[in-house]
Amino acid sequence: MQSRWDIGEPEKPTINEETEQLKSELLTLNMGPQHPATHGVLRIEIKTDSEIVAHAIPHLGYLHRCMEKHCENLDYRGVIPFFDRLDYLASMSQEHTYVMAVEKMLGTEVPRRAELIRIIVLEFQRIASHLMAFGTYALDLGAFSPFLYAFQDREEILRFFEELSGARLLYNYIWVGGVWNDLTDDQVEKMKSFLDRFEENTKTYHELVSMNQIFIQRTANVGVMSLQDCFDYGATGPVLRGAGYKWDLRKQAPYSLYSEFDFDVQVGVGEIGQVGDCWNRFIVRMREVGESIKILRQAFDKLEPGSIMGKVPKIIKLPKGEIYMKTECPRGELGVHLVSEDGGKTPYRLKVKSPCFTHTSMLPRVAPGQMIADFVATVGSIDIVLGEVDR
Amino acid sequence: MLNELASLINKNIPSAKAVASIPEDTKLDGSVTVETSSITEVAKFLRSNTEMPFNVLEVISGVDYLEFIEVNYMFAHFDVNNMRRVTLKVKVTDRVNGSVDTICRIYPAANWQERECFDMFGIKFNHHPDHRRILCPDDWEGFPLRKDYIAAKVYNTMELYPENKMNMADRDFIVRQDMIKKAQGEAATKA
Repeated sequence: MQSRWDIGEPEKPTINEETEQLKSELLTLNMGPQHPATHGVLRIEIKTDSEIVAHAIPHLGYLHRCMEKHCENLDYRGVIPFFDRLDYLASMSQEHTYVMAVEKMLGTEVPRRAELIRIIVLEFQRIASHLMAFGTYALDLGAFSPFLYAFQDREEILRFFEELSGARLLYNYIWVGGVWNDLTDDQVEKMKSFLDRFEENTKTYHELVSMNQIFIQRTANVGVMSLQDCFDYGATGPVLRGAGYKWDLRKQAPYSLYSEFDFDVQVGVGEIGQVGDCWNRFIVRMREVGESIKILRQAFDKLEPGSIMGKVPKIIKLPKGEIYMKTECPRGELGVHLVSEDGGKTPYRLKVKSPCFTHTSMLPRVAPGQMIADFVATVGSIDIVLGEVDR
Repeated sequence: MLNELASLINKNIPSAKAVASIPEDTKLDGSVTVETSSITEVAKFLRSNTEMPFNVLEVISGVDYLEFIEVNYMFAHFDVNNMRRVTLKVKVTDRVNGSVDTICRIYPAANWQERECFDMFGIKFNHHPDHRRILCPDDWEGFPLRKDYIAAKVYNTMELYPENKMNMADRDFIVRQDMIKKAQGEAATKA
């Protein structure tokens, strides 16, 4: 048991002793709600001592829609579009988590082809989301062109999704029991040729950004979230893996068909900077894109003709009970706590555990003692989407 | 696993009175229920014991059952070889002054999760270092995720959902009206 979390002892912010000596009157600075570096409407109240952050207090709720309450008034199928609007950059992954929770309570068998199509869209979504993270992070640090490169490739993925589901961002594509629309051979060919092109592009991105000296100086050894902090605050996804811990639900607790696929879990090893800093979190995302390409290629090979929809009753009624289901989304583990009453057509309670909410709660922990510009780099590196934080 | 954990908690903290509930339906999740007053002791034990440790608090989720409000703590152990997960429940029966001790000095993740639980269900967390609303504005009235919550008509002199601008037929939450009536009826009988 760590003595520092004992009852009665207040949580102490870690402030560098050198900076402590230079302390003067604190200035309050509001970062946001309309600030480009906060990726949405997040306000962070920063108490600064000249250039150095003494405290950072995030204020949430600017995008709060209380979707959990809305879901209590919708039938189980009607909830899916609401999940799209949580993390609007990775809608497929959000839908999938909820649908898996319903399917598990219902005991539905999902056809093999549907599972494979799901994995294909999930991994494409992961690539699209990580491309966005890569582009906007470079933008935060003052580099404009990587953003355009990232959007070029993301655009192609969104085109695939548009062909498949009819929508570019909010898909409502993964349904209880399967998927809405079948993938044609023509589309598969297009996707394969895109992957070949894209794999070449990722090498360019590594040269342009990851190994760029300016980028390294802005991110290496900045905003270190130690492994202990990650466990304390419950961090998951690239933040936890960036801290050097090999933890990926696709590998540790395989769901869907992920156990059949051969891929590695990428962790930050600290070849530049140290584990848990901004650069390592960034590089984990970039390398995960490569792993997603691996999974996609295997999924295309496994694809066989078949049904895309399992047997689902017309009106879904779940047994009385509860379930907590979590999957690995691009930003971390998304959890769904679904409580149903006997014979109810609507969820009795639906709680979403958002990875971004957890990661934002770590900001007050890492901020004290940082320069303001470094704090911007730290906020960017955890890749938050406010739709998911505020729900 | 849940039975083992419940007996382990009872052995070390007799006041916790842990009871494991395992549903017959194997698709559903089981849980362990403990006494509300012993939650800090139990959390401390879960984090520090060596037999069955839980190093991460994932989420705190409240559920309003009208007779009582349940607080669900989802603990997990992030260990590659030995992963486990448990739902720990405590019950709060007082809807007005119901309170639970905070565990945010044992699991710092609880800090914001407890704030959210307070924001949505109105459960007070004793000794919390920063006990404020988190998602709703500070001057918001009522606790939105309670089953007997009635959405405010006016906020800060602004009219919410003006009828001439909204299609109220679509937004009428008919389904839960029964819940609201039930809760109000209970409150009336108690008073």
